[in-house]
Amino acid sequence: MKLKEVDRTAMQAWSPAQNHPIYLATGTSAQQLDATFSTNASLEIFELDLSDPSLDMKSCATFSSSHRYHKLIWGPYKMDSKGDVSGVLIAGGENGNIILYDPSKIIAGDKEVVIAQNDKHTGPVRALDVNIFQTNLVASGANESEIYIWDLNNFATPMTPGAKTQPPEDISCIAWNRQVQHILASASPSGRATVWDLRKNEPIIKVSDHSNRMHCSGLAWHPDIATQMVLASEDDRLPVIQMWDLRFASSPLRVLENHARGILAIAWSMADPELLLSCGKDAKILCSNPNTGEVLYELPTNTQWCFDIQWCPRNPAVLSAASFDGRISVYSIMGGSTDGLRQKQVDKLSSSFGNLDPFGTGQPLPPLQIPQQTAQHSIVLPLKKPPKWIRRPVGASFSFGGKLVTFENVRMPSHQGAEQQQQQHHVFISQVVTEKEFLSRSDQLQQAVQSQGFINYCQKKIDASQTEFEKMCGPFEGKVNFEDDSRGKYLELLGYRKEDLGKKIALALNKVDGADVVRRPLKIALLTGNFESAVDLCLHDNRMADAIILAIAGGQELLARTQKKYFAKSQSKITRLITAVVMKNWKEIVGSCDLKNWREALAAVLTYAKPDEFAALCDLLGTRLENEGDSLLQTQACLCYICAGNVEKLVACWTKAQDGSHPLSLQDLIEKVVILRKAVQLTQAMDTSTVGVLLAAKMSQYANLLAAQGSIAAALAFLPDNTNQPNIVQLRDRLCRAQGEPVAGHESPKIPYEKQQLPKGRPGPVVGHHQMPRVQTQQYYPHGENPPPPGFIMHGNVNPNAAGQLPTSPGHMHTQVPPYPQPQRPQNGWNDPPALNRVPKKKKMPENFMPPVPITSPIMNPLGDPQSQMLQQQPSAPIPLSSQSSFPQPHLSGGQPFHGIQQPLGQTGMPPSFSKPNIEGAPGAPIGNTFQHVQSLPTKKITKKPIPDEHLILKTTFEDLIQRCLSSATDPQTRRKLDDASKRLEFLYDKLREQTLSPTITSGLHSIARSIETRNYSEGLTMHTHIVSTSNFSETSAFMPVLKVVLTQANKLGV
Amino acid sequence: MVSVINTVDTSHEDMIHDAQMDYYGTRLATCSSDRSVKIFDVRNGGQILIADLRGHEGPVWQVAWAHPMYGNILASCSYDRKVIIWREENGTWEKSHEHAGHDSSVNSVCWAPHDYGLILACGSSDGAISLLTYTGEGQWEVKKINNAHTIGCNAVSWAPAVVPGSLIDQPSGQKPNYIKRFASGGCDNLIKLWKEEEDGQWKEEQKLEAHSDWVRDVAWAPSIGLPTSTIASCSQDGRVFIWTCDDASGNTWSPKLLHKFNDVVWHVSWSITANILAVSGGDNKVTLWKESVDGQWVCISDVNKGQGSVSASVTEGQQNEQ
Repeated sequence: MKLKEVDRTAMQAWSPAQNHPIYLATGTSAQQLDATFSTNASLEIFELDLSDPSLDMKSCATFSSSHRYHKLIWGPYKMDSKGDVSGVLIAGGENGNIILYDPSKIIAGDKEVVIAQNDKHTGPVRALDVNIFQTNLVASGANESEIYIWDLNNFATPMTPGAKTQPPEDISCIAWNRQVQHILASASPSGRATVWDLRKNEPIIKVSDHSNRMHCSGLAWHPDIATQMVLASEDDRLPVIQMWDLRFASSPLRVLENHARGILAIAWSMADPELLLSCGKDAKILCSNPNTGEVLYELPTNTQWCFDIQWCPRNPAVLSAASFDGRISVYSIMGGSTDGLRQKQVDKLSSSFGNLDPFGTGQPLPPLQIPQQTAQHSIVLPLKKPPKWIRRPVGASFSFGGKLVTFENVRMPSHQGAEQQQQQHHVFISQVVTEKEFLSRSDQLQQAVQSQGFINYCQKKIDASQTEFEKMCGPFEGKVNFEDDSRGKYLELLGYRKEDLGKKIALALNKVDGADVVRRPLKIALLTGNFESAVDLCLHDNRMADAIILAIAGGQELLARTQKKYFAKSQSKITRLITAVVMKNWKEIVGSCDLKNWREALAAVLTYAKPDEFAALCDLLGTRLENEGDSLLQTQACLCYICAGNVEKLVACWTKAQDGSHPLSLQDLIEKVVILRKAVQLTQAMDTSTVGVLLAAKMSQYANLLAAQGSIAAALAFLPDNTNQPNIVQLRDRLCRAQGEPVAGHESPKIPYEKQQLPKGRPGPVVGHHQMPRVQTQQYYPHGENPPPPGFIMHGNVNPNAAGQLPTSPGHMHTQVPPYPQPQRPQNGWNDPPALNRVPKKKKMPENFMPPVPITSPIMNPLGDPQSQMLQQQPSAPIPLSSQSSFPQPHLSGGQPFHGIQQPLGQTGMPPSFSKPNIEGAPGAPIGNTFQHVQSLPTKKITKKPIPDEHLILKTTFEDLIQRCLSSATDPQTRRKLDDASKRLEFLYDKLREQTLSPTITSGLHSIARSIETRNYSEGLTMHTHIVSTSNFSETSAFMPVLKVVLTQANKLGV
Repeated sequence: MVSVINTVDTSHEDMIHDAQMDYYGTRLATCSSDRSVKIFDVRNGGQILIADLRGHEGPVWQVAWAHPMYGNILASCSYDRKVIIWREENGTWEKSHEHAGHDSSVNSVCWAPHDYGLILACGSSDGAISLLTYTGEGQWEVKKINNAHTIGCNAVSWAPAVVPGSLIDQPSGQKPNYIKRFASGGCDNLIKLWKEEEDGQWKEEQKLEAHSDWVRDVAWAPSIGLPTSTIASCSQDGRVFIWTCDDASGNTWSPKLLHKFNDVVWHVSWSITANILAVSGGDNKVTLWKESVDGQWVCISDVNKGQGSVSASVTEGQQNEQ
């Protein structure tokens, strides 16, 4: 197919392969005249712009030359890959001259474009070639057997390849070997070819068939095989191309006799050694395989003889041919339609006749070209054999499940006759795994899900976590939710411990006890039963505690009024908190607190919020944090959502805060989500099965990632099953089949499009997307033989759809029926998940989620408190579905004994009024340090004697020290020790109450207390040693060791 | 890790030019210069020859599986200027349709996203791209883009059906407003993006210029819900470019050089999750590339005969590169 044409009678040279864009240089031919008989010469450069569909070539530059040319070549001398230098144009002139031009200067329009010039040769220089290994070496041939080797770096003095051949003859062709850089061949019209070895500086072999009819017009070395070359004959009596192998130089290896008349030029493709172009006096341009002699292609030429033909070095499918009718044509050998181009050509032909009256005779010359196009084949067939450059030898394609399909075709080491049949044609299917950590974590998660070992899993994660956020998040996300007292645990994690507060209250109570003085008017009011005025009096006297106590006695209304008055009066910092505690206005606190104090707010909510509003409050706080936009706060918002058990919001917030596209980040999220969903499912039992859009998207993204790493089974397990979102349904189908379970009877679903009554004619795009999605969900499982497997088992299996289809299963229960009809084939196709699916959830719960009593009870219950027994029973009961009872009410420990006198309370259905009497003494209140507690002692304590005033200082000092230690101790072990110490010191206090300690010990203890006051713990420790060494062991063993622990810790922590 | 899980001896008698797994990754289709197309069942590491499809009269360059919702359909294209659509019915594979609308070698076939219906794009050395649309009852409608790439189109690749960024925002139930697009690469060193106009005609939307030689392959990355469109291209010039477009109108594409190889790069292929690119070079080398956090493309693996190790981290990969 013709691509371009230029009306020039010229020699041509393509720019070297390195050059981009592709240029074609033309130099006026010395041997032809056009109809103008002009002897003007020019050197022109055209650009080959294939994106321009027209036949014209863009002329870049014209240089008027004083020479006409026999040969023109373009060498890549000094050319770099960047194309800054465009090489050198080397021209062979009529009078023994060789001229070097700088093409970049020609393009730039410079006047001085000649680099160098030398006229050492005799006669016209018809043969030129550049050495492809050393591009500075150029060989030239002229008359009188003259061959010179030019070094472009030292152009003045050429070398010779050896002694001139005798008898002297014209050199018509010259060519460097394509494999061995010091081998050169020359040929002459006499038919003889000579091969030169430049290292030996002599001809090493002469090639001749002795027929004396060869008239060499062309010579070319084999691009790949060093010993092979072809010679073309111009003689009409022997219009052949001979292929020679120098290893057997007595006769040609092969003779190609495809031309009817003499051959004028040949060109061997560097890109494919099986493509040899030849043009002859039979006006044909043929492309043959010189290795077989087969003609692969005949160019559709309608012109006359071509005298020069060249492959484009850069674009292997492109060639140019210069014809005697004064035209250079650029063709593609890949065939193709020329419909679009023909018209232009015809136009051009007719218009060019206007110029054919050069002599002004008024009579246009008759057209030179007699042969008119006979049949206009608008379709040009390509080469019979595909060229090498379109034969893709290698490929690697990804497919579903992280598989990579690769193949390669290793080149045969032997060049001879390439026995490709011998080759093994293998395709490799490989598994690509790039995210090892992601996979192992996912694996762990799956194992946890299967074994229900969530607590262990979470603990491991906590131990392994590094950042503070992770430490917080880890337990938040899961562990706590699986433990019985989830709220208490949350509080602890936030840095607030109940038992510490309990101690503080007791302490405060003692203080209050000692400071009580009753005034006269108040006495009167009380005696008269006038609570209201008594309260007023107290308030007036700033005796808040008394006021409140009296108000309690005075009834609900009075209490409420008093509370209000109190709050109005009190300006204390924590009043707001107390207000909220009492008025239960948590919404306000959560809604308006400073976000810096989110921790406190969350703690307060955890402590006080009623079950039904708890989640909402956490949500609200989370939303506030999330909306702040700060990424740190956003991650903290995630904590709130975790507390709230709000999976969907967690996902949304997480997505916002984290780079969700990274596999490990996604893994983090999925871990949290899976665990949280499991937890929520256990505690709230309901509505966990609906998968929100966002979560579904994340889960399917996760499944996709797993699948991409080859973990098809895992991907299936994590994929939500109760959604009809098309992408998930499709992914499920894909995963199922990818697992390789046999499709029943090898029957494939019938092609749906046969059934689709698409309108005839052009189907609008509407049809395409309107019908297809409808069809697809059904088409995937045409006969129900390949139902999707039960998926995403871990989160409960209430499928709203399934429930709808199966009216017998109560909507609010865990249904044991899988969402899809049971597959008829055995389930062992799946690795593991089904086992889980079949286990009734409820039965599992009690055994698996029995709270670890030994841990819970000491924390929950003050030492020796009889209530602890009662409390302990609660967790051991099977976890009820109600979320309410899944955590014990924190109020119980402190509040119930006192209040129980008036108002015995049930375990469940904690009435809102319950916390009323606790006004100031709510034990879980976070900011305990500033509290002034007014609270009755627990029943048991009433029987205890008070600690003598003089020794009270000991208790307060030790308590205070433990508090200080606790507030700065971070590691759980230390905290445990301190907690323990705090309890054991009760023994000391008891002994103080009973005044059973010897004076030496008490005085020693006071010294320790004094040294604590001055923060001189080492002195305290010395004193401690002294006491222990001097006192009776049985007397001190109950508390002295722990006191030492406290002192040591205090010393270590430097509090 | 890249580890061979199955080595399929195709018994092709000449060069293999393409090997593609079906949608599920259970069947392998191969094609060769021996003019045949073969289909193997490769489930569970096996290799059962299901079909040896003869019908082409020249080397077969590429095969492409249609989405399974249309049944088991495979398209192949050949140097014989033909595209053949093969179909399995009742367990046997047969020629279902032959498209002979090209004047030269057909180098590439690619099925459109299934959401559009059954549409096949074919790129040919005659410079044209044809689009075959199934219209029912065994009929295929042909649209042709002439002179898409002067002296030849080497590759076609469809854009994913998802309108960028709309994965989540798409209101349910509403008809998705797809715009059909595909990319092509050719011997004019260009990548062109084509878009279907409202009247159903295909129009050149963009011309992406960066390669200095034939574009051998283009691959539009699967959508993973991000608002960015991505195309990988490779060329005779040894370069691989990653083209990205962030704006919704799809007009501004910027290239990033992934690497300059010393040999022709024949083929680029995205992983399903669009995060890894497999690059196949003329030196029989296959490399896997991944984008690092800072947006650089890093070679994470060299694959040789289907095997290779994967750099644990991107930084390690960078060091390997150096």
